[in-house]
Amino acid sequence: MVEAFSLLFEWQNLIFLVVGTALGIVVGAIPGLTASMLIALTLPLTFHMDPVSAVTLLIGEYVGGISGGLITAILLRMPGTPASIVTTFDGYPMAKKGLPERALALGIMASVVGGLISWGFLAGMSPALARFALQFGPWEYFTLVLMALVMLAVLSQGSMVKGLMAAALGMAFALPGIDSSIGQARLTFGSDALLAGFGLLPVLIGAFAISQILRDAATPQMSGKMDMPKRHLPLYRRDVGYAPKLLRSSIIGTWIGLLPGIGANIAALVSYSTEKQLSKEPEKFGTGHEPGVIAAESANNASIGGALIPLITMGIPGSVTEAILIGALTIHNLQPGPLLFQNAPEIAYGIIAAYLVANVLMLMMMWGAVRYIAQIVRLPRSGLMAVILVFCVTGSYAVNSSFVDVWVMIAFGAIGLGLEYCRVPLGPFVIGFVLSPIAEEQLRASLMMSDGNVAEILSRPYALTFLVFAVLTIAWPWIAARLGARGREREEMP
Amino acid sequence: MKKGPAARQAVRQSMADLVLAGLIILGAILLFVGAAELPPPRWEPLGSAALPRILGALLIVFAAIIATSAALRWRRGSAVETPPSEADPRRGVLVFGALVLYVAALDFGRAPFVPATVIFVAAVGLSIGQRNWRNAALFTALGLGLALAISTILERFLYISIG
Repeated sequence: MVEAFSLLFEWQNLIFLVVGTALGIVVGAIPGLTASMLIALTLPLTFHMDPVSAVTLLIGEYVGGISGGLITAILLRMPGTPASIVTTFDGYPMAKKGLPERALALGIMASVVGGLISWGFLAGMSPALARFALQFGPWEYFTLVLMALVMLAVLSQGSMVKGLMAAALGMAFALPGIDSSIGQARLTFGSDALLAGFGLLPVLIGAFAISQILRDAATPQMSGKMDMPKRHLPLYRRDVGYAPKLLRSSIIGTWIGLLPGIGANIAALVSYSTEKQLSKEPEKFGTGHEPGVIAAESANNASIGGALIPLITMGIPGSVTEAILIGALTIHNLQPGPLLFQNAPEIAYGIIAAYLVANVLMLMMMWGAVRYIAQIVRLPRSGLMAVILVFCVTGSYAVNSSFVDVWVMIAFGAIGLGLEYCRVPLGPFVIGFVLSPIAEEQLRASLMMSDGNVAEILSRPYALTFLVFAVLTIAWPWIAARLGARGREREEMP
Repeated sequence: MKKGPAARQAVRQSMADLVLAGLIILGAILLFVGAAELPPPRWEPLGSAALPRILGALLIVFAAIIATSAALRWRRGSAVETPPSEADPRRGVLVFGALVLYVAALDFGRAPFVPATVIFVAAVGLSIGQRNWRNAALFTALGLGLALAISTILERFLYISIG
């Protein structure tokens, strides 16, 4: 870990971390632009970078992207990112009461504390969890990937069937290309362009950036009076009394971040509801109550640290952003998972170190420049979108110097837009695409090891547990409905 | 069937879901056709064609469920609640059209990168933002600066030639 920190403090890595965090805050502050979109867009740049620098840049963008959303959530009631939706409940009323500086100060402080507490879990749990995961064989990995995919699909917003269908569709799009097991073309239908399959970068940029830009282009630019911060951001000695709330919300955020499919927005919502239920003044929540801002912001930032734990220890993405980070590592021939700590410790520990320093940088940048960052929201959106589209085109082209990748990006942009129009979640689609090769490889290896005997899974407790969890996740809505109906019947009985 | 905005919304949603289910079934058929061309497994139990077949079957099942619930919703005239939107899809279509033309000009038309990018940025900016001479000049300048910066980075530092 000490080596990771010394590597991180080399000037080029530090510059990338500063740039990444600053970019993340700015993009996070602009409603409509998200951390995942920024990370997808900068992935092509990292292609030509040293892996440690690439990881520091992306982690900085991730931390900044989630944190920056609080600025517009508080000042405009327009959350810069979905993670900041809950911050609007109390942050905006505080700004309307003439306390924008206080709301921002609490939000920034809570974000940093949430980040630091979840860093403690990340640094403390990851190496041990990775050592534990070394016991896993192909059956365990296959069932773990299956469980993660099922949880992501079922827990994503909207219909469960559409979530599962999106995951299956994403997996199907990862099939064309050369099948590495037999060295033969699969599902290419005679097209040479498909021999390499659909590139990860064009798919990610298309599905996230292009579809989002097209969607945003159709919506009118947001307007509204902004209560700009005029004075310094105040924190008082009495704020120490918020320590138990900060700790509780950060732990909730970290543990929710650990679960695949439940993002920072849900972490913030659960933490907010918990604080409201535990509060002696629940009626004050939603009217500009300081604990409301603290609960939301500490939990959404803490969820990042939580989500990074399964990513670096087992290679399982908790959300779309982590799926893109997996893509970034695979571009550099690094496989996230337990072996990352053995094969590339500078990357595994580098992610942990970068997460801590990014939180500190985020505090310094947001504390010092929040009023200037808020001004960015006033920039004309039309120019910004045009610029992003040019970056999308050049970024996709630069990977292989091929326009095929650019057309793939456009096609996936249209697919993403079409899926969203039909209320099919994009998260499981992209994560299915990323995890499909791993799932297939592990399933094939499992069956080879067990001579095609699927019943072998019954003799492997971890694999069986993951499988049972996956089945329970699918069956849970039905079980919950049955239990609810039974409870109502009991209540109605005389 | 009831008439009114909710019923119209239900029809729109149901039609979208039916089209989606149709396209998914077509995709699943493609998976089966592609899998049929693959050799049977030789050195391993699963083989190359298994996953396409499994996913094809799953997609057909999901598409059937989506189509059935869409048909039932159409009959009932009840829509899934969605937040009200002020979106104007025409602007999205305009931007998409501009993007396709821009890439086609670079790829098939061998258009030089800098002028093509300037025109593209101005076209997108004006199709989303307010159309006036001030904005036209602003977006042209923005496009020129961006195109020059990107082409310099690509050609000088990454040795990549575009357009």
